[in-house]
Amino acid sequence: MSEHPVIELRHVEKHFGELHVLKDINLSVARGEVVVVIGPSGSGKSTLCRTINRLETIDSGEIRIDGERIPREGKNLARLRSQIGMVFQSFNLFPHRTVLDNVTIAPVDVLRIPKKQAREEALRLLERVGVGDQARKVPAQLSGGQQQRAAIARALAMHPKAMLFDEPTSALDPEMIGEVLNVMTELAREGMTMLVVTHEMNFARRVASRVIFMENGSILEEGSPESFFTHPQTQRAQAFLQSIQDH
Amino acid sequence: MSKTKKPSIRDYLYEPPGPRTRTWIRVGTALALGLIAALVYAVIHQFAVTGQLKAKYWSFFSRWTTWRFIGQGLLTTVEVALTAAAITFAAGFLLMRGRLSRHAILWRLSAGLISFTRGVPTLLFIYFFFLVVPRTGVKLSAFWKIALPVAISACGVVAEAFRGGVNAVPRGQREAALSLGMTERRAFYRILFPQAFRYIIPTLIAELVIVLKDTTFAYIVSCADLMQNARVLISNYDALVSTYLVVAVIYILINYGLNRLSENLAGRESRRKTA
Repeated sequence: MSEHPVIELRHVEKHFGELHVLKDINLSVARGEVVVVIGPSGSGKSTLCRTINRLETIDSGEIRIDGERIPREGKNLARLRSQIGMVFQSFNLFPHRTVLDNVTIAPVDVLRIPKKQAREEALRLLERVGVGDQARKVPAQLSGGQQQRAAIARALAMHPKAMLFDEPTSALDPEMIGEVLNVMTELAREGMTMLVVTHEMNFARRVASRVIFMENGSILEEGSPESFFTHPQTQRAQAFLQSIQDH
Repeated sequence: MSKTKKPSIRDYLYEPPGPRTRTWIRVGTALALGLIAALVYAVIHQFAVTGQLKAKYWSFFSRWTTWRFIGQGLLTTVEVALTAAAITFAAGFLLMRGRLSRHAILWRLSAGLISFTRGVPTLLFIYFFFLVVPRTGVKLSAFWKIALPVAISACGVVAEAFRGGVNAVPRGQREAALSLGMTERRAFYRILFPQAFRYIIPTLIAELVIVLKDTTFAYIVSCADLMQNARVLISNYDALVSTYLVVAVIYILINYGLNRLSENLAGRESRRKTA
C-alpha cells in the first residue's frame, strides 16, 4: 500500500465564465477517511466533487488519485476514473438495461472480468445493498431509494479505491433517505474511502472523519465533526448551521 | 397495463369529452362522412361521364401478365428503396458522429454536408447522377443512378434525427458511463446510442417512407420501378386514370404498413419502459 493520499487536490481553480467557482482548493483524503463536504447551494461543493474524476475540467492546479496525476483525456483518464466510484444525485442508472446488467456492464466491458463471475459478484453486491430481489427488473420499476442503492452497487462492482457521493439523497422522498444513508454508513464502517457532498447533517455528525465547509468556491473551514458542529470557527459557518437548524 | 385499448398520447393530453362534446363529435363525424361520400360519388360520376369506367381502361388488369409487370416494378422499387435506405442510414450515422465530434474540422465538414444535403432537392441530385456523373466517365446502372441520389438527399435529415436522439439522452447517462471507466467511444456505443435509437425509430421509418416516395423519380433515369412500369402500361393501354389509381393504392398500402410498423415499435418501447 502506498503512503499517498487516495485523493489529493492542489491549488485547484475553476471558472464558469465570469463565475469563480473553485478558489485555490487544497484537499487530501487519506485511505479509509470519510470526508463530508457541506455548504450552501452554489458554494461549489458539487463542482469540487465532480472535478475529482474530471467530469468537470479545471483551469489550473492538479488532482492526484493515489499519487497519480489525473490526465486530460484518453485511456489513462478512463482507467483512473474506473478506480473512483461515483454516485449521482439523479442515480443515472442505465434505463435500457436490467439492474443486474447495470452492475455487470462496466466490470465486463472495462475490467474484462468473465461474465459469469461478474454476475455472481453483482448479485452479491445487490444483495448487500438490499435490492437482490430486484436484479431482473429495469430501473424504472424500482423506487428511488432502491435505484440509488443499485447505483451504489454498480459503483462498488469496480472495486474502487474511493467513492464520491454527489448529493446522493437530494432527489429522494424523505422516507427513502434513511435506507441509502444506512448503506453509506455501512460502507464507511468497512473502511471505504469516501468523499460525500450532502445536506444530511446527522450523517455528517455520525459518520464523517472530517467535515469541510465550503462557501463561494472556497474551503472556509475543516475539522472533526464534533468541533465543527459544536464550535464552528467562521461566522459564515455559524450562520449556515443556524439557518439549517431554524427550519 | 390496461387490458382494453392501449392509451394514446391524446388520453394524456386532453380530458375525456363530456356528453355535449360527444354529441358535437357525432354530428361532426356524420357531416364529414356525408361530405366524403358526396365527394367520392362526384368523382366516380365524373369518371363515368368522361368514360373512365369503360371496360377498355380496366380489362387489362384481369391479365396476369399485367400484374407480373407491376410486380416486377414493385420489386425494383423495394430494392431501390431498401438499398437507398441502407446507404442513407449508414451515411447519416457517420455524419452524426462527425457532427458530434470534438475535432473542429470534422464537425464543420459534417455540419456543412448535412446542411447541403438537406437544402438541395432530390431531383437536382438525380439530375447530377443522370447528366453530370456520366460525363466524368463513370458508368452507373440505372439502379444506382436513382438509389445514390435518393440516399444522399435523405442522409442529412437522418443525421440530424440521429443527433437529436443522442442529445435527448440525459447528460447523466454519459457521466455515469464515464465515471465507470468507459471511454467516450464505449460510452457512446454501449450507453448513449442504444437509448437514442429507441427515440428515433419512428423518425427513421418516416424517413424510409420519404425514401420510398423519392424512388418514384426513377423514371427519369429509366430505372424500371413501379412508377416507370406504370407509365409503360399507360402508354400501351392509353389508361392513365385507372393505372395511376391502382399504383397509388399500392404505394398507400406500403406506406401505411410502414407507419403501422413504426407505431407498433414505438408502442412496444414505451410499454417496456413503464412496464
